[in-house]
Amino acid sequence: MDGDFEPKILGIFCNWCSYAGADMAGTSRMQYPPNVRIVRVLCSGRVDPQFVLKAFELGADGVLVAGCHPGDCHYVKGNYRAERRIALLKEMIKQLGIEPERLMLKWISASEGAELVKTTEEFLTVIKELGPSPLRKKS
Amino acid sequence: MPVKVMFVQLASCWGCHQSLLDLHETLADVLPQLEIVFWHTVVDYKLHDVEKLPDGSVDVGFTEGFCRTEEDLHLLKLARQKCKLLVSYGTCSTYGSIPSLLNLYPIEEALSRKFKEAESVVEGRIPDKHVPKMLEHVKPNREYVKYDLFLPGCPPEPPLIAGVVTSLLKGETPKLKERTLCDECPRVKSDVIVLKKVKRDFEGIPEPEKCLLEQGYICMGPATREGCGAVCTSAGVPCKGCMGPGPNVMDQGAKMLSALASIVDYESVSPEDLVKAVKDVVGTFSRFTLPSSIIPKAVFKKK
Ligand code: SF4
Ligand code: SF4
Ligand code: SF4
Ligand code: FES
Repeated sequence: MDGDFEPKILGIFCNWCSYAGADMAGTSRMQYPPNVRIVRVLCSGRVDPQFVLKAFELGADGVLVAGCHPGDCHYVKGNYRAERRIALLKEMIKQLGIEPERLMLKWISASEGAELVKTTEEFLTVIKELGPSPLRKKS
Repeated sequence: MPVKVMFVQLASCWGCHQSLLDLHETLADVLPQLEIVFWHTVVDYKLHDVEKLPDGSVDVGFTEGFCRTEEDLHLLKLARQKCKLLVSYGTCSTYGSIPSLLNLYPIEEALSRKFKEAESVVEGRIPDKHVPKMLEHVKPNREYVKYDLFLPGCPPEPPLIAGVVTSLLKGETPKLKERTLCDECPRVKSDVIVLKKVKRDFEGIPEPEKCLLEQGYICMGPATREGCGAVCTSAGVPCKGCMGPGPNVMDQGAKMLSALASIVDYESVSPEDLVKAVKDVVGTFSRFTLPSSIIPKAVFKKK
């Protein structure tokens, strides 16, 4: 059963760094796991906690939020906001019975295609070990 | 002709009904215009008193509380059947309110805690005879029946109730105010807030006029709907969010979590500091609205 488990992971990436990093990975023909579906936002500070909760509610097994490194956010403080929101959100989902490891925040710059591949692969391993999200609708 | 009304109590603390009585003299004007056909928390009505009413024969019904047992659910459905207009009265009925934080625990654990483990219990047992079956978790009443009007508040403030009752008696559709609490709060706000420290309510004494959030207290105003008259913040107490989510807010807890995270000073408050300052994230931000949140209850590992 669990051998067949293909996690569904939502990536929410900031346009200026992490999404560009994913592009970089793509143009350099680096493979990253197809389990990660990436949505682009202008800044990690745009990631409304409601988006993350909605993703879990809809059955995502993991959510990966990625933004620019500290000091590099194009809107100056967006990533610091994201960092604090994700910290609180991890606590929130923990109280709701969802393993906090299913939510990850990572800084990935536009030139870090390889880092993106590594991050997504590692995250996939973590999620595979955790198994399907407890909120996944049984089908 | 008097207006036929019924007041229904589901699982609740009676605080909303109490608030109705706090209308004092206004009640003297209102009561003669009402014919109360059911109010089992005040007069000894029985379930069959509702059951035998013709469908749609009651003009207005008010429901206080949420459905904790199958009997609550039965009564709620009956109320919908018998009333032309159904008002969700108070935050328990509208969003779940504080007692629904029990959605964070399995019901068996809650029953065992209350009836067997509580410090005051001697030789406890979980009652199983002549009691209605417990529902697994709390859902907002609107997921069971259709409502015509929502009147939130834990409890709704008497002037809010008076406004609604008066317009109903005139045959008008009551209109509730819909901005955020900060809009009606009289405290002085700055354009930019930068918090050097997040304080618990008991720390220090708040300055009398300045916005409480700006002073570092977790005030739910930005994520909360107006309508209570900002009674708490006017009295120096941070808003706990009892009116439920403000306009365009899907999840009050997530919204406030977001707001707080974006106003702290990043050099003074690390993510860990913030988590420590908040302590109980769900209990602080979703105190009144857990069953209406995007994730309305905790999931439990099967043993
Ligand atoms: S909404 Fe508040 S006051 Fe009203 S019944 Fe529920 S807990 Fe009590
Ligand atoms: S945050 Fe609280 S104290 Fe400040 S304006 Fe809003 S409701 Fe008033
Ligand atoms: S200030 Fe907040 S907690 Fe107090 S009555 Fe108004 S909405 Fe409820
Ligand atoms: S622009 Fe990349 S995190 Fe703000």
